[in-house]
Amino acid sequence: MDSLKLEIVTPTGVIYDGVALEVTLPGSEGEFGVLPRHSSLSTLLKAGVIDVLREDKSIESILINWGHVNVNEHGVTVLADGAVALSGSSGSMAEVLESAKKLLKDVSESKMALASVSAKIDSISRVG
Amino acid sequence: MANLKDIKRKIGSVSNTQKTTRAMKLVSTAKLRRAEELARRSKVFAQRTNDVIVELAGQIECLKVGGIDNRFFKSCEDAKMVDIIFVTADKGLCGGFNMQTIKAVRKLLTASKEKKTKVRLRGIGKKGIEYFSFNQIQMLDEVIGLSSAPDMDRAAEFMNSSIADFKDGSVDEVYIVYNGFKNMLAQELHVSKILPVDTTGFDCEESSKSSLIEIEAEDSEKMLDSLVTKYAQYNLYYALIDSVAAEHSARMQAMDAATNNAKEMVKTLKVAYNKARQEAITTELIEIISGVESMK
Repeated sequence: MDSLKLEIVTPTGVIYDGVALEVTLPGSEGEFGVLPRHSSLSTLLKAGVIDVLREDKSIESILINWGHVNVNEHGVTVLADGAVALSGSSGSMAEVLESAKKLLKDVSESKMALASVSAKIDSISRVG
Repeated sequence: MANLKDIKRKIGSVSNTQKTTRAMKLVSTAKLRRAEELARRSKVFAQRTNDVIVELAGQIECLKVGGIDNRFFKSCEDAKMVDIIFVTADKGLCGGFNMQTIKAVRKLLTASKEKKTKVRLRGIGKKGIEYFSFNQIQMLDEVIGLSSAPDMDRAAEFMNSSIADFKDGSVDEVYIVYNGFKNMLAQELHVSKILPVDTTGFDCEESSKSSLIEIEAEDSEKMLDSLVTKYAQYNLYYALIDSVAAEHSARMQAMDAATNNAKEMVKTLKVAYNKARQEAITTELIEIISGVESMK
């Protein structure tokens, strides 16, 4: 099966570096998905959640507060300002939500973003 | 002839100092390792951001007639107002580390005075701020506590005011001066122009070849704006991290030298102590012998 190389980088280090089957990104003009062999593209991301479908079919969700994505023939590179892993982290849901709130504090449209994040966390916790 | 007790007290005090300096060296070694790791991890972001900016700028340069029409990229021939951001440590006892930065800032100040450019000084770190306020040089901003604990949010906030002033035209150039980490033994002074972004290294041909990205010029300019802001903020953050690493390496060295000096000093004091002790014994013996002699 086809896969793409995904890299999520923040000023404090590389958050995600690996292979993915599909990535869903919160673009500045709406959410969009990237599959392997996507055409080249470069755009800004707004505060929101990146969903990564990993090779083992598990979904990893990562919250970002600002970002830029570059899709090219080599893979997907996301530059983010701050990031919090929503699923797959060891902390409890409350802790994750707390750190997510902290991250989104300064974003202007934070209320909407936070609402969408809590909805996402809710759905994750229900599934998990 | 120094008193035996005095010398002993001195030996005690010097060896205590030695213990302190050694402890400080060990602390700096541990902290240095952490700071280095942080800088290493952070470097990836710098590379990626750089790649993207170069690529985008190159694209716009190629696509648009007349190149990039953006304040961030226009090099300013005669700057009227310059922002100098300097980063020093909050603490001393690290050799010439802080002084090097201060000297570089002074040099910039004199140079801009000659060119009749106005300078706004924005300081991070207690030592540099203390120096300039002691010399009654006006500073626009004073931030203490950020250079010992680098933080992306605070760095961004600090940088934002410079960026805003740059955007509305009240500032023409922004410099960052800091002492960075080179290796365990040496620091490297960086004086870097953050804004406007230096485009001389951008290769138009190269970037258009390497990627097939299709973007609209207007969109990409907005993107470039946002990216350059991030780039400037990040640069300050990186300067802070690099400066912490350098500070610890400088302190490590300074404390190592201090420990060695103390060791040397204890050695000479011990020799003096032994000599004094021997002399005291000799005098006592002579007294006894002469006393016995006189009784005969």
